[in-house]
Amino acid sequence: MRVRDVLTGLLLAAVGLARAGDYAALPGGRFESVLPQGDQPGVSVPVTLAPFELRRTPVSVSEFLAFVRAHPEWQRGMAPAVFADARYLANWSAPLEPPAGAGALQRPVVDVSWFAARAFCESEDARLPTWLEWEYAAAADESRTDARADPAWRRRILAWYERPAGAALPPVGGPANAYGVRDLQGLVWEWVDDFNALFIAGDSRTQGDPDLLKFCGAGAISIIDRDSYAVLMRVAFLSSLNAADTTSSLGFRCARSLPGASR
Amino acid sequence: MTHLPTTRRAAILAMIAAAHAAVAAQAAPAQLVSTLPGDSVYRLSPRIVDQDGRAVTLGALRGAPLIVSMFYSSCDMVCPLIFETIKQTRMALPPEKRDRVNVLMISFDPERDTVAQLKETAAAHGCDSHWTLVRASDADVRQIAAVLGVQYRRLPSGAFNHSSAILLLDKDGRIAARTGKLGEVDPQFVDALARLA
Amino acid sequence: MSLSTVADRMRRGALSIGCLVGLSLPVLAGAAGKTAPGDFGPPRGEPVHAILTSPPNVPPPVARNYPAKVIVELEVIEKEMQISEGVSYTYWTFGGTTPGSFIRVRQGDTVEFHLKNNPDNKMPHNIDLHGVTGPGGGAASSFTAPGHESKFTFKALNEGIYVYHCATAPVGMHIANGMYGLMLVEPPQGLPKVDHEYYVMQGDFYTQGKYREKGKQAFDMEKAIDERPTYVLFNGAEGALTGDKALKAKVGETVRLFVGNGGPNLVSSFHVIGAIFDEVRFEGGTNVQKNVQTTLIPAGGAAIAKFRTHVPGSYVMVDHSIFRAFNKGALAILKVDGPEDKTIYSGKELDSVYLGDRAAPNLNAVAKATASSEKGTLSLDEQTKAGAELFNGTCSVCHQANGAGLPGVFPPLAKSDFLAADIRRAQGIVLHGLTGKVVVNGSEFNSVMPPMTQLNDDEIANILTYVLNSWGNPGGRVSSDDIKKQRAEPAAAATAAH
Repeated sequence: MRVRDVLTGLLLAAVGLARAGDYAALPGGRFESVLPQGDQPGVSVPVTLAPFELRRTPVSVSEFLAFVRAHPEWQRGMAPAVFADARYLANWSAPLEPPAGAGALQRPVVDVSWFAARAFCESEDARLPTWLEWEYAAAADESRTDARADPAWRRRILAWYERPAGAALPPVGGPANAYGVRDLQGLVWEWVDDFNALFIAGDSRTQGDPDLLKFCGAGAISIIDRDSYAVLMRVAFLSSLNAADTTSSLGFRCARSLPGASR
Repeated sequence: MTHLPTTRRAAILAMIAAAHAAVAAQAAPAQLVSTLPGDSVYRLSPRIVDQDGRAVTLGALRGAPLIVSMFYSSCDMVCPLIFETIKQTRMALPPEKRDRVNVLMISFDPERDTVAQLKETAAAHGCDSHWTLVRASDADVRQIAAVLGVQYRRLPSGAFNHSSAILLLDKDGRIAARTGKLGEVDPQFVDALARLA
Repeated sequence: MSLSTVADRMRRGALSIGCLVGLSLPVLAGAAGKTAPGDFGPPRGEPVHAILTSPPNVPPPVARNYPAKVIVELEVIEKEMQISEGVSYTYWTFGGTTPGSFIRVRQGDTVEFHLKNNPDNKMPHNIDLHGVTGPGGGAASSFTAPGHESKFTFKALNEGIYVYHCATAPVGMHIANGMYGLMLVEPPQGLPKVDHEYYVMQGDFYTQGKYREKGKQAFDMEKAIDERPTYVLFNGAEGALTGDKALKAKVGETVRLFVGNGGPNLVSSFHVIGAIFDEVRFEGGTNVQKNVQTTLIPAGGAAIAKFRTHVPGSYVMVDHSIFRAFNKGALAILKVDGPEDKTIYSGKELDSVYLGDRAAPNLNAVAKATASSEKGTLSLDEQTKAGAELFNGTCSVCHQANGAGLPGVFPPLAKSDFLAADIRRAQGIVLHGLTGKVVVNGSEFNSVMPPMTQLNDDEIANILTYVLNSWGNPGGRVSSDDIKKQRAEPAAAATAAH
């Protein structure tokens, strides 16, 4: 074994890739997404999700601060434009100074790009959740694992969409859903690993339009259930993003595959 | 420079620093990083392998304009058209400029696009020595697509649903032009290419 | 593999898959690029920054006779505003207002459109301009995340008045939250000069609470799908164009209204109470309809209405599906000031009592006679007086107020030998009418007297009593009972039996 490998191993342990973050285990199983998962557009094909872990809350400002302290290449001003746009951590007064104020450190971190989110998750030996994992976890409300058919569930989500992002965010740690995961709806938008697999065409009315030159394989995505507009709006939002983009209402949380389970 | 024990310590510390940088930054080697522009695609360092089985470093492509796109071999609809359009685009350049332009094609499908398959696909499309077809891990493909602004997803049949874009990178790896026009040469893309070549 | 082989393979592949692939081969085949009408060539001169205005104002005319590059910068802002007194709603706006900023360009202009999504917004947005020829009207090229900006360029090939709106899924919700506006593409020669141009746009709104229910109201998707609006409004709010925000003009001025309908659902029956549109470019197209009272504006459509004011006052603009105007808020006002013109409109000239059928000046005697008759104390005098009142306006129409009749047409009743000869016959005539030849006082008459079926027994009795005692007739009295009995008998032949 080469010296360098030994040292790298020691380094990894020493630098302390802390298994930070509180994760909940989710059982996975059969799940019907509102996005068609089959070959045919518009036809619902259930998928089987492997069990996985998901952070109970979005990554907070204080956690992200610790990350950029340990990884200076991800500080504002250091991260290159290809990985994070000009508004990366824009609301921090300095690269290592998040906004002050009571409870400010417990707010979900926002103005972070997909690359930055990925790097954070890797730093705690995790990854971003896939869209399906996220959708599956977020289908739950406080008492049911799948509340999607409930118009009240939809209405609560829509009410959040309607609130412009100007106001200061509340801290993470809202009520837990049936899986013990908090803040999936109603706090911030969240990155997923395959955000660029969700393509609504730029013009959302071309759903089902077989513009196969533009979207080889199956045309732009059509939503299975027209009533799932609450979920549709989230998909539309994620589709509008590029990987280096940041917005003031976009944060993230990490996921982990469970040992033995294949992704 | 002092002698033995301290030298060894210094060397060890240097290696730790290098390892730290390599692990945490996931960036290209230090000397390249500092000279690449902030919006250069070459700041990514995915592990990619070409149709001859050779490892390719993105940074090594620096110095010439690069036409880049994504495909998969078993795609019989649009991907052949992407190849043809890129060929026609190069042909639209005057001969002396043509040879100054390289092409990089990244596969969505590492499972089926083995090195041998990549070689076959390259031959089938009549790709000359300026073309490099590569495969990478799923995670790296996701990153490459993200940085290029390409959307894709794998379907249960093994086919891919993907957006079609042909991009032009300048000599430092910055995106200089992009086009969605397939089956015909995009005059604005050719203009941008001619200016860079 | 040549391009045409690939194309063939694709076509075969496409056919086998059974879908259409729009290959743009004509360009390769060298199809002659015929310029579209409205394409006046490349832009000339310096790029122009478009002046955008908030409703109800309209930017000034373009006043340019060559195509230019026009830069339009439009920002999407999500904000809470008042929809009605004490009622607030989260609007998604183009330029901070609903409807959004008015864009004015010239046919043939090359428009460089910048769509900005304010960083404080939560939602992605895009724009579909109905005046754009291209995929999605620009929507495909303008999908923008918050804190970002998209740019695309189009040539305004067609002149007209065009709606623009957001087309991000779910489209109905983005429109219902106020994301619509108008773009005017002027014809090359511009529009004829008028004194005032105004921008009015109708929209339907769907809230979870009821009409005018106070507080912050959320969008109701179910109501929107069912097309049951809570509010139907001009320019986004109740009172947007009333009171001190009413549109203004003076008497004798020309007014041009650019009227749009953002929907999302309802069609508008646009009408200005008290005014007639001299000219309407209905549907915003090229043809002009004249003298229009109410014009239909489809959802996602617009029209240009032009009229001249003649008379001062408050002219109420409504959607003439009238419950929308008075119960959902579809009401706006154009206030016209200036001197009156009574020849066109006089205002109220007369206010008098309208008696309906029995519009005789005085029916007191009739009332008195009726009362006495009921008591059984009806006197000759009372009958005569009542009969006189009743005679006037009924019998007098033909026989004249003085009983003289009309020579050769209607027989006289004054000093009538015919009457004196047989009262019962006279009673019969009043009851059943008379046609044919009669000789009265030596003159022949051949006419038709209709049966007086509208008169009751008392009335006939009183009239005949009056006649008998007037103008030299022999006098006498007819009682209600006489008439009653005679009425009960079968009618004698209603022809003159002489």
